[in-house]
Amino acid sequence: MLFIDRPGWLHKLHPFTKLVLLLLSAALAYLTGLSIGSLSLLLAACLLLIISGGIFSVSAKMVIRIFLPLILFMVPIHGLLNPANTTEIFSFHGIVFYREGLFFALKTLMQLGVVISASLAFVFTTHPADLITAVSHASGSISIGYLLGFPLLLLESMRERVVTIQNAQRARGLEIDGNIFRRFTSLGPLLFPLLIGSIVGIEQRSIALEVRGFKIHGPKTSLRLVPDSLLQKLSRRLMLTLAVILPMLHFFR
Amino acid sequence: MSFSQRLKEDFTTTTIVLIAIAIVINMTVGQVVSMLKLPIFLDSIGTVLVGLLAGPIAGGLTGLLTNLIWGMITSPVAAAFSPVALAIGVAAGLCARYGLFKTWWLAIIAGVIITFFNAVVAVPIRLYMFGGITGSGADFMTSYMLALGKDLFGSVVVTVFTSNLIDKVATALIAWAIVKALPERTTDRMPQAKYVVSAA
Repeated sequence: MLFIDRPGWLHKLHPFTKLVLLLLSAALAYLTGLSIGSLSLLLAACLLLIISGGIFSVSAKMVIRIFLPLILFMVPIHGLLNPANTTEIFSFHGIVFYREGLFFALKTLMQLGVVISASLAFVFTTHPADLITAVSHASGSISIGYLLGFPLLLLESMRERVVTIQNAQRARGLEIDGNIFRRFTSLGPLLFPLLIGSIVGIEQRSIALEVRGFKIHGPKTSLRLVPDSLLQKLSRRLMLTLAVILPMLHFFR
Repeated sequence: MSFSQRLKEDFTTTTIVLIAIAIVINMTVGQVVSMLKLPIFLDSIGTVLVGLLAGPIAGGLTGLLTNLIWGMITSPVAAAFSPVALAIGVAAGLCARYGLFKTWWLAIIAGVIITFFNAVVAVPIRLYMFGGITGSGADFMTSYMLALGKDLFGSVVVTVFTSNLIDKVATALIAWAIVKALPERTTDRMPQAKYVVSAA
């Protein structure tokens, strides 16, 4: 889980407010034809959001992890090979970098930077349980909350099950080395018990849910409360409107 | 039957639990594959299974939620590709409904069709959001195609199609074999399994 538990103003916001903010920043970065200059302003705004939210150090680590491979591939591939390349910028031992490709790579990286930093501002400050509660409350259905929450609870025990099956099959002499065809044939004894076992167990789980009133209609109460405010509701409306209108203005200009 | 009635009928408690389990399967199967060092991902096996057992809508929902949850717990980049996972689930469900999962060789054809759907959705995301480069090994393929003089769109199409073909065909075959191997009392409870198992 990426959530970091510490007090901060971003943590106090309703999950939907942060999601709408993410949507707005994605719409601004990709659909309004911003120049590199405006994109850097937007990027600075996202940075400010992350610093003021108290999640700068964790976000920086994540950004490096995501962007290092992207930069390593993006800059040489577009700088050298982008089909639009015409203007030579510099050459190094006969390898020529072009202006158009580097420009394209820079713009794409900045657009991604905006979306990813806005996503990090969401995932680092939103507890999955708050998101699940907010979604269940807004949709009036407990099923969608179950679908979002149950996998998180089950993940660990399923991983243990994979290890158990691996150990059991290796004890029976399953080969996990050797050539690729041999390894492909080893896939069956590992996957089949895992998949068939989990699917067959569904019946029991669904009966357990139904006897606990899973499908009962009507209002549900929740132990967890997600605070919301009029100001946040209004700002969500405003941001949603902007996320729709600004791209339209750009397209019809 | 109206659409909402159909939805209600498809989304029984069993289907909802199936989707939840399939999401976890998608997330854990990578462990098995990486242990065997195989050149495939199989990370949509749960999605395809739900498509076969419970129909295209449930399959699509499984894919979408898998990537959204992945985005929430590991890296937001996964969430950007959630429409691709949705397309895989819908394609698998539709293939099953039209009888393309009745035998093993039909399942191979279904795998190719799923790869096609996958590419239709993945190419625009890769191209417009990531500028064709996602920072993975597949980028070598893209750069090779670019060096051969192909345009960016063509290079990304070739990369997405080739890097997914073996994976999706293997996924379709394994999913077919799993559904065939399930006991009847389990498939009887699944709304769409009849399209796959009836040929047996």
